[in-house]
Amino acid sequence: MADLIKVTINGNVYETEKGARLIDVCREHGHAVPSFCYYSDLALQASCRMCLVRIEKMPKLQTSCTITCTDGMIVTTESEEIEKAQRAMVEFLLANHPLDCPVCDRGGECELQEMVFDWGGLEERFSERKNYAPEKFLSPMVANDPQRCILCKRCTRVCDEWMGEDAIEAGGRGAHTVIGTYDGWLNCSECGNCIEVCPTGTLLDATYRHQARPWELAQTITTCTFCSDGCQLSLGARVGEVMRAVARDRYVDGINGEFLCIKGRFAHPFINHEERIRTPLIRYKQGGRLVPATWDDAIGYTAARMRAIGEAHGADAFGIIGSPRLTNEANYALLKFAREVIGTENFTASDAFSLAPCFENLSAPLATHRDIRFAKTIILVGGEPEELQPLTGKQIRQAVRNGGARLVIFNSVPIRLKEQAAQFIHINPGTEDAVVLALAGANDDELAAGKLGVEAKTLADVRRALDETQGDCVLLFGSELSAAAMATLAQLPQLLGAREGRRFLLHPLPFYNNSVGAHDIGLMNAKLSVAQLLDQAGQGLRALYIAGSLLPEHLRGREETLRQLDLIVVQELFETETTALADVVFPAASFAETDGTFTNNAGQVQRVRQSIPPVHQARPDWMITAALASALNADFGFQLSASAVFREIAEHIAAYEGLRYPLLKDESRPVQAKHALAGARDMTGAIQEIRARIQSMNVTSARPTETPKVGHELFKPGTLTSKTPQFPLLYAGNPKPPTVLVSPLYQITVDANLRATTVAAGD
Amino acid sequence: MSQQFLPDNPLPQEAKVPEEIARFSPAVEAEIDGHLAKYPPERRRSAMLPLMFIVQRERGWLDKPGVAYIANRLGVRITDVWETATFYSMIYTKPAGKYHVQICKTLSCKIMGAGNITEHCAQRLGIKPGETSADGKFTLSEVECLGSCGTAPMLQVGFDFHENLTTEKVDEILDACARGDYKFAVKVR
Ligand code: SF4
Ligand code: FES
Ligand code: FES
Repeated sequence: MADLIKVTINGNVYETEKGARLIDVCREHGHAVPSFCYYSDLALQASCRMCLVRIEKMPKLQTSCTITCTDGMIVTTESEEIEKAQRAMVEFLLANHPLDCPVCDRGGECELQEMVFDWGGLEERFSERKNYAPEKFLSPMVANDPQRCILCKRCTRVCDEWMGEDAIEAGGRGAHTVIGTYDGWLNCSECGNCIEVCPTGTLLDATYRHQARPWELAQTITTCTFCSDGCQLSLGARVGEVMRAVARDRYVDGINGEFLCIKGRFAHPFINHEERIRTPLIRYKQGGRLVPATWDDAIGYTAARMRAIGEAHGADAFGIIGSPRLTNEANYALLKFAREVIGTENFTASDAFSLAPCFENLSAPLATHRDIRFAKTIILVGGEPEELQPLTGKQIRQAVRNGGARLVIFNSVPIRLKEQAAQFIHINPGTEDAVVLALAGANDDELAAGKLGVEAKTLADVRRALDETQGDCVLLFGSELSAAAMATLAQLPQLLGAREGRRFLLHPLPFYNNSVGAHDIGLMNAKLSVAQLLDQAGQGLRALYIAGSLLPEHLRGREETLRQLDLIVVQELFETETTALADVVFPAASFAETDGTFTNNAGQVQRVRQSIPPVHQARPDWMITAALASALNADFGFQLSASAVFREIAEHIAAYEGLRYPLLKDESRPVQAKHALAGARDMTGAIQEIRARIQSMNVTSARPTETPKVGHELFKPGTLTSKTPQFPLLYAGNPKPPTVLVSPLYQITVDANLRATTVAAGD
Repeated sequence: MSQQFLPDNPLPQEAKVPEEIARFSPAVEAEIDGHLAKYPPERRRSAMLPLMFIVQRERGWLDKPGVAYIANRLGVRITDVWETATFYSMIYTKPAGKYHVQICKTLSCKIMGAGNITEHCAQRLGIKPGETSADGKFTLSEVECLGSCGTAPMLQVGFDFHENLTTEKVDEILDACARGDYKFAVKVR
């Protein structure tokens, strides 16, 4: 605890930490101070001068956003003098602001509008002609109405400090300053955070522009369905249609603050997309078409076929595959179905890699995103969080830029985050395991350094940095590690030993929104990997029950053998390569249409809430499984309530013990699952295995020297993201159209090459 | 504002202009190196303005390849160059004429008749403030106070001050420019 000091605000004495920011202290104690440019955890701007206060012994009014409290400070936040100054500031802000709130997308939730209600004058004294500039597009995602800008520069600061992109800046000067870019076109990761933090209607969501007014929308707080960071967002829906996703703090206050990435913010149009599967579908004979059916028919048909296969070939003829994209409830229902209805252990989840080695050997808690922001040392082995887990990427960047953390990156690719790294260690492709070996001790430095293609001294330096860390040290790792290496890394905190003042935290970087949940539920530490399970097709395996779709790496090359199976049942949103093989397809509800939970890469169990009723005849995955079970004479007892499923999860899964939906209600206080910590394990075997692996390793491919383009992963049009028409445009290189006055989407109508094609499965 | 761009930590490729990058003669490169040498490497963005003047002297204005060159040499992003360039009236983000006539429009000059001077110039040159004549000779601008208020009204051609203006004086200057025998007193850096 830092030193406590006393400040007097409007006659009340408060104790506060030394170094606290005055504006925060005022607000904390209920003394409202208006502001525009102040934004916590961004560099100070002090340009709007709305936050003026009177501080005794200081000449003139002071901007409370730039003042740190000192002992004995006497502050007044409300007086005639202050109000006069603030009213004058609003008058200046409005000098060039158009009176077009009725046609402005931000109208109704605009900070400027609200401020004017409180501080604005009735009459406008500026009679000069206002600056005028037409509304235009800065990119397929960002529309821009320059005249509404009040130059608070929140947008330029988030672009620089959160995203490290510096894509948007303020050009010109004085009254003619405008927010923009060189050449008038935004080539960035299109996160849209500038839109979110803009207090006015200057930067606008181009995909939602002129679609709805904020007060028509029912906002529902939920968890993003894309990556494993689990950002909290609020879906705005109008009569069964999701119109937008925002993280604006008036609607939601989660681990991500107002941060979202392009997928979270813009990739929601798949929810109401016309290609959603509308009814259950049955393929009555091999090679035939999928024919629409009623739910009763489809469930009855599937149950009958399953019963017949079970009777003829036994329980182990079934394989059940869950998905790291589905809720814990859906995956749990599948597991229960496999064990209790079918009676088989043939289940798994279609994730790209298993976190089991990490969790089995976990010897330090998982780092939350807040922990990362305030960490002192961050070690990133493999992975590319800026593209695959953007919130983690942003937290790392801020930890370095705003918190002075020491970032060490081991990667074979010069990823963008390297710009922030104190040490970027460019290693040979495929040698990530050697990093773990080196971190675990000095014995193998020669070997490790040789394969990594770095100097042994570099490795010793990193170990020293780890040794000297005071405060939190976060270890992040991507998918590149082998099982033995992942296990050893999870044990590293034990291997390095405890020391006063240093705390180790682990942060895995799985790909999907519920990879960790799928693991926790138990689908991933099953005896079979997806590949092993599928390879049994044609031998023991006769039927598959798949929720979601298989990843291309699992599916490709196996289509023929899978076609030989007696029965494939798939639950999906869209027709995919997997449904092409299916005998029965059930239309599943998307994350926006269902209740449930996702567990993110920090182990936080967060709520998914129903924003709209399921589209067409879709049903939540766990309900479909329960219906199937009941057709097979097994009552799951879920009573059509997701919370009942979750209660059962909490009773059966140790890490979720005691959790209930009401405990997960507050998104601003996410609850971490209690993953059991393993004590010190003997890792000699694992280390031996890594050593052997490295010794036999042939480093042949060269290290890429070019930093991959921004968006090379983010923009990949997947099954879901390709339903946003702007994604293919970005994927095609985000060309600047000849005119920026109309939607850049018009290019798609002229150039068929820019139209949607799905290249990445899964997403 | 960005911080900490270290030379051994180059920016990602895509943040720079991937297209053409300006090239300069060894003499000019040496001049630029000279400016960069004045600052510690991690503060080399401080050389932004001198570099802009040089690029503009060599290429007439800050065209795309020129901007790309500056961004590369200084390890900043093109938006940073854009931000700085647009702040200054003497940095050209559009092609500018050989003679840049900048008339002060701030209070002292305004009171002393800067309005008439501007009107006169506009009429003679056939262009409005902010425009460049078709022959590429003249650019006319109205700028903020140039710090010569005691001798208002005033204008600047290139970096030369012309003070206590009358329309006759203005005509003399413009005539000299039009004939092509105007001598710049202050050389561009
Ligand atoms: S565009 Fe919005 S966020 Fe950016 S400076 Fe203007 S008002 Fe502020
Ligand atoms: S909030 Fe303090 S000056 Fe803007
Ligand atoms: S007002 Fe014109 S030079 Fe100062």
